[in-house]
Amino acid sequence: MIDWNDKRLQQFGYLGLRARQVVEGFITGLHKSPFHGFSVEFSEHRLYNTGESTRFIDWKLFARTDKLFIKRFEEETNLRCRLKIDGSESMLFPNDKTQATEQQTKFNFSVFLAAVFMTSFRSQRDAVGLSVVNDGLTLHTTAKSTFIHHQFLMSQLQSHLENVKKTPAPQTNLVEALHEVAERIHRRSMVVIFSDLLDVAHNTDELIDALQHLRHNGNEVILFHTLDKKFEEQFDFDNAPHKFIDLENKGVVKIRPAEVREMYRKNFAKLMSEIRTKSPQYGVEYIEADIAAGLENVLLPFFARRRM
Amino acid sequence: MAIHFTDVEFEKDVLQSDIPVIVDFWAEWCGPCRMIGASIEELGNDYAGKVKVGKLNVDENPGVTTKYGIRNIPTILFFKGGEVVERHVGAVPKRAIEEKLLKLL
Repeated sequence: MIDWNDKRLQQFGYLGLRARQVVEGFITGLHKSPFHGFSVEFSEHRLYNTGESTRFIDWKLFARTDKLFIKRFEEETNLRCRLKIDGSESMLFPNDKTQATEQQTKFNFSVFLAAVFMTSFRSQRDAVGLSVVNDGLTLHTTAKSTFIHHQFLMSQLQSHLENVKKTPAPQTNLVEALHEVAERIHRRSMVVIFSDLLDVAHNTDELIDALQHLRHNGNEVILFHTLDKKFEEQFDFDNAPHKFIDLENKGVVKIRPAEVREMYRKNFAKLMSEIRTKSPQYGVEYIEADIAAGLENVLLPFFARRRM
Repeated sequence: MAIHFTDVEFEKDVLQSDIPVIVDFWAEWCGPCRMIGASIEELGNDYAGKVKVGKLNVDENPGVTTKYGIRNIPTILFFKGGEVVERHVGAVPKRAIEEKLLKLL
C-alpha cells in the first residue's frame, strides 16, 4: 500500500527536476523551450534580414545607432513527461515479504520510483502521462498537468500495485511497447522507463533500436534498470539445490547455484556492460536501480545531477 | 580580468595562443551582452593562466566579426590550437560557459 503522505515521497516533490534537454511544453515554467517566443527573457540580438517581419526589430537601438537588429527571446515552458513501467512477471522478483513495500519486488520499486517522479512533476506543474506494459501497452494515458490528472495517475499506480499479482501478465514485449510509445507520443517529451530489461537480455540491439526510435523523435530518454543486485547480478544463493522458475515462460531449471555462478555472473556482466556502454552512445541516460539500495540512494544522486 | 581582443592583434592573441581562448563577441548597446559580460570577467579571473578569456567589440572590429560570420550577439567562440571548437549564441548562465570551457582543458 502506498502511503502518499509518506515523507520519503514528499521530500522529492520540491527538489525539482529540470530537464537537461530542450523540451516542448505549453505553459510558462522551469524548462527551456526549443522555440524562440517573443514574450519572456531577452536572449540575444540578431542581424535583421531584408524581407523579414519588422515586428521584432529593436527600434530603440536603430534610433541610437542606425543598426537593424532583431531582439530574440528565450521562452520557458513546462515539461511533458511520460513514465513507462514494465509490468511483466519477471518484475515480481524477488517477492521478499520481509522487506519494506517498495523493496519487495522490482515492480513495487518501479511504481514507487514513478510516484516520486510524479510528486516532483506535480510540484512543478509539469504534464505527466503514464504507460504500463503488460500484454502490450495496457495503460497509456495522455500527459496532463492538472491536479485531477495527477490524482488519477496516482490511483492507477495504486491499482497496479494492488492488482499486479491477481492478473499475471503474459510475456511482455518491451521493445514493441517502446516502439508503440514512440509512435504515440506526438510532442517532444521526457520518457522515463522503469524495467528489468530481462526480455531484451538476448538481444540488446533491439532495445537500443527502440530507444533510438524514441530519441529520433526528439524525446529525452532516461532508463531506470531495476534489479536486485544480490540475486540477479551476484547470483548470491546458498549452495543447496535450487529450482529456478522463469516467471515469464514458466521454464524450470534445477541446479546448484555454485555450479553455474561464475558463468552466470560473466554473462550478466556482459549484458550490463553492453547496456551501460550503448545507452550513453545513443543519448540515453542509464541509471542502475538496485531495489536493495532503497529509493533515496537511487534517486538522490539523480536529482542532484539534474539540479546542477 | 577579460582581455580586449582587436582585429589587429587577433592572429597573435588568439590564433597563435598556446592555451585555449574564449572570445565573447559583444557590443555596448546589446543588453544580453552586458548580462554575460560579468560572467566573462569572472571566468577570466578564475582560469587565468589556463585559458585566455576575452571580449571583442563587433562595432570596432568588423574584420574578425565578418570572418567568423557573427550575425548574433552575444556569440562566444571557443578556440583551441587556432581552431574554433565550440560556439555558443545567446545569453547563458556562467555555469553553461564554464562547462564548455572545462572541455577545452
